[in-house]
Amino acid sequence: MDLDKYKKAWENQPEETHKVSKVDIYKMAHSKSSSIVKWIFIIGILEFVLLNSLYFVVDMEEAYNEYRQLGLYNFMFYSQFVLYPILFYFLIKFYLNYKSISVVDSTKTLMDKIIKTRKTVKYYVLFNLLYVFIFGVIVSIATLKTHPEFNSKQILVSIIITIVVLIIMVIILWCFYQLLYGILLRKLNKNYKELAKLEELN
Amino acid sequence: MEKELENKFLDDFEANQNIVHKVCRIYTTNQDAHNDLFQEITIQLWKNYSKFRGDAKFSTWMYRVALNTAISLYRKSTRTIQTQDITEYSFKIKAEDYDDTEELQLKALYSAIRKLNDIDKALIFLYLEDKSYREISDTLGISEVNARVKMNRAKDKLKKVLNP
Repeated sequence: MDLDKYKKAWENQPEETHKVSKVDIYKMAHSKSSSIVKWIFIIGILEFVLLNSLYFVVDMEEAYNEYRQLGLYNFMFYSQFVLYPILFYFLIKFYLNYKSISVVDSTKTLMDKIIKTRKTVKYYVLFNLLYVFIFGVIVSIATLKTHPEFNSKQILVSIIITIVVLIIMVIILWCFYQLLYGILLRKLNKNYKELAKLEELN
Repeated sequence: MEKELENKFLDDFEANQNIVHKVCRIYTTNQDAHNDLFQEITIQLWKNYSKFRGDAKFSTWMYRVALNTAISLYRKSTRTIQTQDITEYSFKIKAEDYDDTEELQLKALYSAIRKLNDIDKALIFLYLEDKSYREISDTLGISEVNARVKMNRAKDKLKKVLNP
């Protein structure tokens, strides 16, 4: 079968009967976008803000006293000098990636850039989860040190419980995160795979 | 200056709006979604219009932005701006000399294209719009060879849907 007759029908199709007027085009052009790029930006910023606002919720004075008792004050104090540059690095990278997204690019480049922007936040969240995990382990070890009366069996059990609880926490957060972006990017990921499939074969 | 740019945009857009309507027809199935996608494409076109230089045709540029929006950026949303006159969804043609068989073919073609995946839709659309492989590969960002291979597969799929 030939597609020619269909192509001819396509070429002869009439213009849209309900033309959009200039006034409506103007109104539309100045309305708010609801594209996924915009959502990725909003959610990304929210993630940065939420992860960092925890410091304001926690009573830092009290927390530092606690760390002092555990002998972790110096560790906590100096780790900030590592954490903030990392946070800024991710924020800047996220912003630059976001700015580079252009609908005028080719379809594949556009998708690449959207996925890259999302990945920056993904790595940031991953970094935070890892930090929470390591931090949790360090705090529990320090806590155990302040209880010399524990025998080795008790110590082992406490360490295992701590690790299991931390792993479950991290998994729950990770699932929530995947779900959030999974819903947002389902269509894009599917199309990206479809477009990239051929290239993989070559 | 801004006003001048705006007027030029409105002129260009109005004259070429049929391209956007066709994209909306193949990527959506009802009038609300059609309007919504149309609006998002309009936003994207206007947002990037200042960067549009005359070295490409406005319509060529429009194809790219419209398809990219439909494929990568568009999410269903509930927002709607009241427009004056877009009502029922149909391909009814009022011209008297219009051929009835072609109208049926066109309907069959649209409903077949809608059954394809988003990338195949873009390929078939560009084929129907008589775009060269060079332009197709540029628009989608794949090599010309890959565009040809993908196009043949998309056409095969379309034929199967048209003639099961």
